[in-house]
Amino acid sequence: MSVRLKLALTIFATGLVTALLVVATLVYSFQRFENETAYRRGMAFLVRVVSMYDNIFDMHEQSPEEFQRWLRGLVLYEPDIELYLLDAAGLVLAKTGPAPLKPGLKVALGPVRESIERMDTSYVMGDDPERMDAGAVIVAKPVHRAIARTGAPNAGYLYLVLHTQQLPTDRMDVLRSSFARPAMVGVIAVVAFTTLLALLIIAAVTRPLRTLTRAVATLSQRGLAAGLTVAPTSPLPAPTRDEFGQLTGAFEMLLDVCRRQWNALRRTDHIRREGVSNLSHDLRSPLTATVACLETLDGRWAEAGAPADDRRLVEIALRNTRNAAAMVRSLGDLAKLDEPEYRLRPEAVDVGELLDDIVLRFAERAAQKGVAVRAVPAADAAGSAPPHARIDVELFERAIANLVDNALKFCPTGCTVTLAARRLDTQIEVSVSDDGPGIAAADLPQLFDRFYQSRSSVAPATGDGGHGLGLAIVKRIVELHEGEVAVESSLGHGTRITTRWPAG
Amino acid sequence: MSALILVAEDQTDIRELLVMNLRAAGYEVEAVADGPAALASQKERASDLLVLDLMMPGLDGLEVCKALRAQGRSTPILMLTAKSTELDRVLGLELGADDYLTKPFSLAELLARVKALLRRADLLRAAQANVGGEGRILRNGELEIQPAKRQVRFRGTAIDFTALEFDLLLHFASHPGHVFSRAQLLDAVWGYSHEGYEHTVTTHINRLRNKLEVDPMRPELILTVRGAGYKMRDEP
Repeated sequence: MSVRLKLALTIFATGLVTALLVVATLVYSFQRFENETAYRRGMAFLVRVVSMYDNIFDMHEQSPEEFQRWLRGLVLYEPDIELYLLDAAGLVLAKTGPAPLKPGLKVALGPVRESIERMDTSYVMGDDPERMDAGAVIVAKPVHRAIARTGAPNAGYLYLVLHTQQLPTDRMDVLRSSFARPAMVGVIAVVAFTTLLALLIIAAVTRPLRTLTRAVATLSQRGLAAGLTVAPTSPLPAPTRDEFGQLTGAFEMLLDVCRRQWNALRRTDHIRREGVSNLSHDLRSPLTATVACLETLDGRWAEAGAPADDRRLVEIALRNTRNAAAMVRSLGDLAKLDEPEYRLRPEAVDVGELLDDIVLRFAERAAQKGVAVRAVPAADAAGSAPPHARIDVELFERAIANLVDNALKFCPTGCTVTLAARRLDTQIEVSVSDDGPGIAAADLPQLFDRFYQSRSSVAPATGDGGHGLGLAIVKRIVELHEGEVAVESSLGHGTRITTRWPAG
Repeated sequence: MSALILVAEDQTDIRELLVMNLRAAGYEVEAVADGPAALASQKERASDLLVLDLMMPGLDGLEVCKALRAQGRSTPILMLTAKSTELDRVLGLELGADDYLTKPFSLAELLARVKALLRRADLLRAAQANVGGEGRILRNGELEIQPAKRQVRFRGTAIDFTALEFDLLLHFASHPGHVFSRAQLLDAVWGYSHEGYEHTVTTHINRLRNKLEVDPMRPELILTVRGAGYKMRDEP
């Protein structure tokens, strides 16, 4: 869940709760207001009755039936008011309501006393003799006997019950239409408005964050290198003064450090490549001269019939110089292949054909060593198309030849080196496998690193030992084709190197 | 009369060795140390072949090459370069060099290239001299080759080939049904056989197929013989 959504939901919920609380408070206040109004009305009514008639209790004692009729006459025009006459213990003596009461019904005297004694109270809730399970707003006033008008204890109470809930069904309707509906509309409007406002504010506040996120995403997609060449100016949003601005600033600083380090790295790499390239270049002329000298000398001594020992010396010198020359050539080639502006010259060829040709190239050397080199026909089921690849023929042949060369170098007499090609989905897989001594597992990860020469593998005694560049060149060539190279090997069982090339 | 070769190389040791060995091989050799001298010498007396170092003071090998071609001279040029790059090769051949050798090279290889270049120049001269005549015509199905005019017609339309492509096609057409390995083709057509250049043959066979086959991926004219090499189909 995004921060924006979380914030919006929180604000929405808060608004809703606030609105509900406001409504609840309003409803409660309205209830109180109703009760208080009713209480005041009841009080005024009762005060008027008690002050006008000082012989209420006597009237009751003289004729209960007459009294009851008189009592009813009092509330004839007050449909929400019921009057009761209580004795001093709270026993109901007379009533105005038509409903029959349980004989000997008593109402609680606490509220009665509260209503009489406390003048500051807003209203009093007490028993409703008609519905003893629910309370009602009550008002009470003491009534006395005519004989003992002063100083004597109360003979009883006049007890008034206001049915605020029962009466005003139409008033509840009024409440709903004139108060609830506008209130509800107002609440909904306020909540909606608040939420909308919150969304806008959140959007405005998080905009720099999103811009920054987008910028960082673009940067990580394009990479620092591309960012450096494509847009030397900052791809980040202009920093503001707030926290986001600080974050942008911090990120900009980080980026700057990365950029500097990347530049330094590139410079170092460039210098290294240039250095290797120049070195290889500078070594070529002296090597050319030396090889030419030795060849000339070799030719002359052969004609002149020089001693066999002397001729052997020239031969050794020539072979070693040629090896040195091959190394220098490989170094230069690798430096060249490393150059960013190096371009492949791909053409569509039948890889199977090419493998056959490579086998032919190595046939003589393999025969001398007693190693069999063969290409197995492409495993194309149901006569499907032969494995055509779109490759730079020279480089492909160079890579595969390097692999065969390597296998020949390390395999003893009696081994077999097998070349195979097969079509995958969009790639051609070419493998070179042998049943030679294999490569130690510890050496495998670095096998394709340049200048890596396994210490543990059996060094060939022929003097044309590997110089740790052959496989690095293979890797580079495969990389240039956007392919893959992988090696599997187990000591004593052989090695299999698999390369993948783009299909034609 | 032996051929005259001009060697332009700024490094004294290598120049001396080249002169020594070319003379020993029976050529007449002239040597200079830089580009302007090479041009001056050509003005005086045109040689049959030039061996140019790519990196020279004054004018480099490519510039000499360009200047000579601009003068309309078709003298074969063998370029020596210390850079082993595809780019250099393309550049060199486009600007008019006929072949190139990367340092360090072996003398045997250099001599083979020189011989091949001179032979091809002779053949070309002979063909040009023969432009008037029809000469013999080689046919294989819808393929028609006129060696004297160096012309190829396939299904009635004339097709352009580079000198090497033509030589390779002519070699195949002259021996229909005969299988050649890449090394043999390199030797017979390019005039030298040296480890590491076989891919050139593959590339040229590819080009021939692209020009002459309906589906270059399923050739019908220039066929592959597994484990042996390539051949042109027998005349139908």
